[in-house]
Amino acid sequence: MTFFIVILLVGLGTYFSRAVFILVLADRHISPGVKLAMEYVGPSVLAALVVTMLVTPEGELVLGYAELVALLVAGVLAWKSRSHLLTLAVSMVVFWSLRMLLA
Amino acid sequence: MEQHKSIIRQGMQDAVPIFIPAIPFTLILALAMIESGMPLWLGWSTSPVIYGGAAQLTLLTLLSDGAVAAITAALIVNARHLMYSAAMAPTFQQQPIWFRWFGPYLLVDQVFALAMLRINDEPHRFRQYYLTVGLTFWVLWLFSTAFAVLMGPVVPASWGLGFVVPLLFLSLLVMGVDRAPKAVAAMIAAAVAYLAADLPHRSGLLLGAGAGVVTGMLLEKLRR
Repeated sequence: MTFFIVILLVGLGTYFSRAVFILVLADRHISPGVKLAMEYVGPSVLAALVVTMLVTPEGELVLGYAELVALLVAGVLAWKSRSHLLTLAVSMVVFWSLRMLLA
Repeated sequence: MEQHKSIIRQGMQDAVPIFIPAIPFTLILALAMIESGMPLWLGWSTSPVIYGGAAQLTLLTLLSDGAVAAITAALIVNARHLMYSAAMAPTFQQQPIWFRWFGPYLLVDQVFALAMLRINDEPHRFRQYYLTVGLTFWVLWLFSTAFAVLMGPVVPASWGLGFVVPLLFLSLLVMGVDRAPKAVAAMIAAAVAYLAADLPHRSGLLLGAGAGVVTGMLLEKLRR
């Protein structure tokens, strides 16, 4: 029940973010400053998210050698190939191989 | 009638290939649904209720750290939709009211990218194209996340497949960086998120994201 309320809240928030300008603010202008700030939301949130997923709530980094190398490989591949599929496939293979070798 | 058919066919032809890169995403998402500990149908309900891959994934992976952090993070991840909404607003002005209410529900990244190429079409044609692309994508998303969540438990937890989530977000991050200040902003965001990681309710995430945006704005100001 609580889970469903949480999901519903995010669902409503998501709909709101997609609908707000279309439904209510159609003839208002967004200032260039706000537009620019919104452009920085994407990379900033993603970077903070990646870190959050690799850190325990106590602030401890959970990052082994295999994870670190896989992240580096993924970063370079994403930059060079522009393909999520290739990036994820290769970096996961690197991750698994290193884990097996180091185990 | 002939014309209608061709718009619909065109929309489907555009939507299907653009969906293919989203398939690995649905597998990762299914894994997060399974690991969230909710009943599977409830985890899957994020697909129709939220209908946005990155927000669904963020919510499901962070939920174990507390609802407040997870909800806030998922909504911030969605902030980019404000830009889509603003960019689409003038085109939607010429549309009937039901479409102005229903259309935004379908406005995911891929639909936005395709629809932006059609904003100068005649309103009726635009609406048909938008609905075709949007609904095709929606049906594919619902089906493939359901399929993946039913197939998911086949993969044992010891494989550490969950690590693919940060890898995917990193991949999304790198591909979104189109100029140096964005890379710097991302690094500052990561550093602050790490330093503030032990704050309650995972608020380090928000602090990091905020620091990144502020850094970006400062750098943009310096450039001028």
